[in-house]
Amino acid sequence: MPDLDATTAYRRDAADAVTACILDDLTLFYHHRSGQTHMVISPVPEIMERMADGASVTAQVMHDRLARDYDLGPQEEAIAEITAHLDALVALGLVRLA
Amino acid sequence: MKHNITLRIGPATFRIGSAWPQPIAQLAQLYAAYPDVRGAVADFTVRLQPTNLLRRVLRPSIFITGDHGLADAAPMSLAHGLLAAEMGMNLQMALGWRRHLLLHASSVEKDGRVLVMTGESGSGKSTLSALLGERGWRFMGDEFALLDCDSGAILPFPRLVSLKNRAIDVVADAVGEARMGPLLNATAKGDIRHMVPRSDAVARMDQGGMPALLLFPRFGHAADVRTLGQGEIFMRLTQASTNYVALGEPAFTGLTRFVRQVPARAIDFASGEEAFAMVDRLWEELA
Repeated sequence: MPDLDATTAYRRDAADAVTACILDDLTLFYHHRSGQTHMVISPVPEIMERMADGASVTAQVMHDRLARDYDLGPQEEAIAEITAHLDALVALGLVRLA
Repeated sequence: MKHNITLRIGPATFRIGSAWPQPIAQLAQLYAAYPDVRGAVADFTVRLQPTNLLRRVLRPSIFITGDHGLADAAPMSLAHGLLAAEMGMNLQMALGWRRHLLLHASSVEKDGRVLVMTGESGSGKSTLSALLGERGWRFMGDEFALLDCDSGAILPFPRLVSLKNRAIDVVADAVGEARMGPLLNATAKGDIRHMVPRSDAVARMDQGGMPALLLFPRFGHAADVRTLGQGEIFMRLTQASTNYVALGEPAFTGLTRFVRQVPARAIDFASGEEAFAMVDRLWEELA
């Protein structure tokens, strides 16, 4: 039976390591495993930074971590947006499902 | 192949073979001042061969190939054999060079520091580098600038300058007929004529320099100078590079350092004189 309470968790693995470089308001990630360079803007660098410890996080946990430093507005919308970013990062291979 | 020549341009050595004598004879004449590297081991082979056996003699049609080739490259007429050889060499560099980050850019040097100019075909970067090379700068290359990812230096690749359409007369007037190749009429890129770089550009083709200014020239627009964000500069330079992805992390490190350290401007100009004035002023202010 599917677990209806399941919440997707995400993590960064050591194998997903990137080298970051800030160019004005843009951040570059050089992804060692794929050799790809990703150009990202806020809030992606902030999300990646808060996953650097390798621990699993849900969108809710990420929201709470970001909310310590930023005013994110209505929680529900913010979590939806964070989820979209995390899923996009999974698609790029920079983050994996926990 | 029946006819061949070995040429060294900057750090790259090419062996060019041809089924016909004419392109090789033209290369030998135009590259006469370059180092004699007969018998050297070449980095790349370029072959100008008939599209089929008959086409060696009947309406001769050249297929450009070599170590690296494009399956769908359009055949060219023998009258454009010199251009075919130059395109063949460019193709090998673009597809096969791994020792430096290859930027589709022209470059000139003064006092050991390098001005790099990048832009699309028709932007004027080639013509500008050729003319600056006659005005106190050392010409380093009109097509490829080689970025050494370890040292950050730009190395020369001073092949013949390929001039198109309106640029031909402008440059021929400036350098004189003796340094101009044959006029190649109605190629896929219009009329083309090659120019031999000055002898000092050839003699010093192993000497690089640190980049001091990056320009994005655009010919045919009202005079203007614009700043660009570092992100846009990085993106444009990766687009201007044929081997950024192939080189991996050294290219990332080398190119991001270039973007962070080298001042850059986009310049629009409607005439050569306008461009020279802009280059002089920006070099004075920024480099």
